[in-house]
Amino acid sequence: MINFYSFKNKSYLVSLTLIILTITIIFFKGLNLGIDFKGGLNFEVKSNLTTNQLNEYFDFIDSDREVLIKREVGSDVFSIRIESGDNNPVFIEEIKNIIDQNPDIEILLSEYIEPTFSEELIKNSIYALASSLLVIAVYVWIRFDWQFAASGIFALLHDVFVAIGFMSLFNIEFNLTMIAALLLIAGYSINDTIVLFDRLRSLTSNEENKDNFETNVNNSIKLNLRRTILTSFTTILALLCLVFLAPVNLTEMPIVFIFGVLIGTFSSLFLVLGIVGDLNYEAVLKARDS
Amino acid sequence: MIIFKQWRLWVSLLLLIGSYILIKPNFESQTSDSKINFGLDIQGGFSYLLELNEEEYLNNLLVKTSQYIENTYSISSDIDNGEIVISKNQNLDALTNIVIQNLGLEINEKSDKQNSYIFSKQSFNKSLSDMTLNAVEIVRSRVDFLGNKELSIQKVGLNKILLEIPGDLDNNVKEVISKTAKLTLHLEKNNIVGSKTFINEETGEQVRVQEIPNITGDFIQDASLQYNQNEPVVAFSFNKEGSDLFAKMTSENVGSRFAIVLDGSLITAPVIRESITGGSGQISGGFTNETANNLAIILKSGSLPTQIKIIQEKQIGPTLGQEGVEKGVIASIIALIAITLFMIIYYKISGFFTVITIISCLSLLFAMMSLLNTTLTLPGVIGIVLTIGMCVDANVLIFERIRENFKHNIEDPKNHGFNSAYVTILDSNLTTLFAAVFLFAFGFGPIRGFSISLIIGIISSLIVTYIILKLFINITSIKYLGLQR
Repeated sequence: MINFYSFKNKSYLVSLTLIILTITIIFFKGLNLGIDFKGGLNFEVKSNLTTNQLNEYFDFIDSDREVLIKREVGSDVFSIRIESGDNNPVFIEEIKNIIDQNPDIEILLSEYIEPTFSEELIKNSIYALASSLLVIAVYVWIRFDWQFAASGIFALLHDVFVAIGFMSLFNIEFNLTMIAALLLIAGYSINDTIVLFDRLRSLTSNEENKDNFETNVNNSIKLNLRRTILTSFTTILALLCLVFLAPVNLTEMPIVFIFGVLIGTFSSLFLVLGIVGDLNYEAVLKARDS
Repeated sequence: MIIFKQWRLWVSLLLLIGSYILIKPNFESQTSDSKINFGLDIQGGFSYLLELNEEEYLNNLLVKTSQYIENTYSISSDIDNGEIVISKNQNLDALTNIVIQNLGLEINEKSDKQNSYIFSKQSFNKSLSDMTLNAVEIVRSRVDFLGNKELSIQKVGLNKILLEIPGDLDNNVKEVISKTAKLTLHLEKNNIVGSKTFINEETGEQVRVQEIPNITGDFIQDASLQYNQNEPVVAFSFNKEGSDLFAKMTSENVGSRFAIVLDGSLITAPVIRESITGGSGQISGGFTNETANNLAIILKSGSLPTQIKIIQEKQIGPTLGQEGVEKGVIASIIALIAITLFMIIYYKISGFFTVITIISCLSLLFAMMSLLNTTLTLPGVIGIVLTIGMCVDANVLIFERIRENFKHNIEDPKNHGFNSAYVTILDSNLTTLFAAVFLFAFGFGPIRGFSISLIIGIISSLIVTYIILKLFINITSIKYLGLQR
């Protein structure tokens, strides 16, 4: 049988490496902020032109507005992002009219966000994220001991953070839908973790084998291993269907989530229970008995 | 038969029938309040997020309050930097704490010479929010002046309005909503003090008039497009109060000019030739049919309390939406089939129970969504697919626990296994549920659509595993569950 607990130091190393990598990637590449968080104009268009041809076509836009054209993977749909500038309402109408007249380009979606509003959306999303994480922490703390809450929250932040690094690495647009994806990763991660916590708690409260913490940790993982793998597998199966079949502007969310499931599985198998142990939970258990 | 002694059987049937009744209206053509709506990203259409100007509203409110204090208590005041400043060299006895509180004010600074007041945050927010509600109605009557469109207009936050128009759009919506349409009538005044010059931007005509309007557009009862010598004009009529004011103003000032001002720019400045008692008038001046019609619509709807700014604008073509739905539905069905096959191969009969559980979970979910008149968006569809995932997870947890109990010869492996697994499921699902509730409360746009289906989905999943899955486990002998490997 695999001794998961003995891997904990190596796992910490892996996790630390991932965190450092994420920081480095974000530092150097930054986040590809969508117009939700940056403001500006976004078009999804269908066109049989190439990216270069489109770039040339949009050359007429003032050079002080940055234009970003990206082909959605495996389709004839392009996302065109134009920075906001002066007198946006007029600009939007003008550009819409110009594109409308081009028979080679069909507008599927156009979207404009005022920069002041996107600032509000950032604030809003941070509130949403922070409050949900806080609620998770409080709930786990009430249901379990604080060591569990601390470890669970660490794993969750770890998974979300590394997923942000993944998005930065592959230049995936960071927008409101992605905030939802990140929270989903958080939810999945804590879900996995709690299932293990429940097991560990019931094993450590069992009179016969409560003393050997390491065995208990290994048993908790072993007994749940099949479930962890099955659930990750079915979830990924469902997500893969979404990746290949979701409308082009929504394929990135399931991709990020698949990565989140993988990293979440790693952290729940190798990280969380190790952290609980290192937070001196063993000593707490012993103290409670005497 | 043992099955009829199970309370779960009757509850399951009740759930099934209830879901059927609730889902049914979705397939009927007539409109109903309990139907699932499709978001704009699914059916295509236009969405605008409008923001009313908070600063402008604050200023208007300050002026109004200051005038009210002057008229009611004969106490004069100045407005300075968001404050009402009242000098102490007058009798302030009437200005008791209760009066100040009722006006929504609170003291900001006290000195020997003067007191300054600001609006308390609570009362200002309340007032701002009421103003937005009022503006929602104005926007509605402007966009939907015929009352035949399927619009969704709602207040968002304190001073924002989300306007969603499914389907096609006549082009002048943006034009109509972004005009404040503050119509004011001012008498000519030649003194510099208290006067203001308005300019007609097209003709360059200018006239110096009294700054505070004599009559405002608030008194307008009706406005329409009419023709005067084949030229489109906007005809308007005042209500009783407005007619009286207009009659008074015109009869007392025969021979002088007055200015008709719209949103701060002069439209025309006719000379009063005789007193006008009918309470109606006409605005002419270089209109086309369309512009005259737009002006008539917005005058009739009343003026907006402040300027409106479009801070988010979205237009989703019908192709993308349709493609989205088709692909989303196909994706969900394929995901469902894939999971189903996998579960049946892996768990045999138990896997088949999972399939029934998933289908019941989905019908309960759609039933609740219909009941709550939820709007289903594409992120919402993703939320539903994930709900299926959570439901499968619950099933796996239960099966694995039963299998384990069976292996260790624990007494009553089915019940024992189900119960201990269900505690775990509750713990893990409730954390996600709480997180989703907060996400819904603070989130915006796609986040809300996603969290609402997650919330409803988790609840359905918890209910169906507890009732329907347990029913099947109860009535099946452990030999046939396919869990004894």
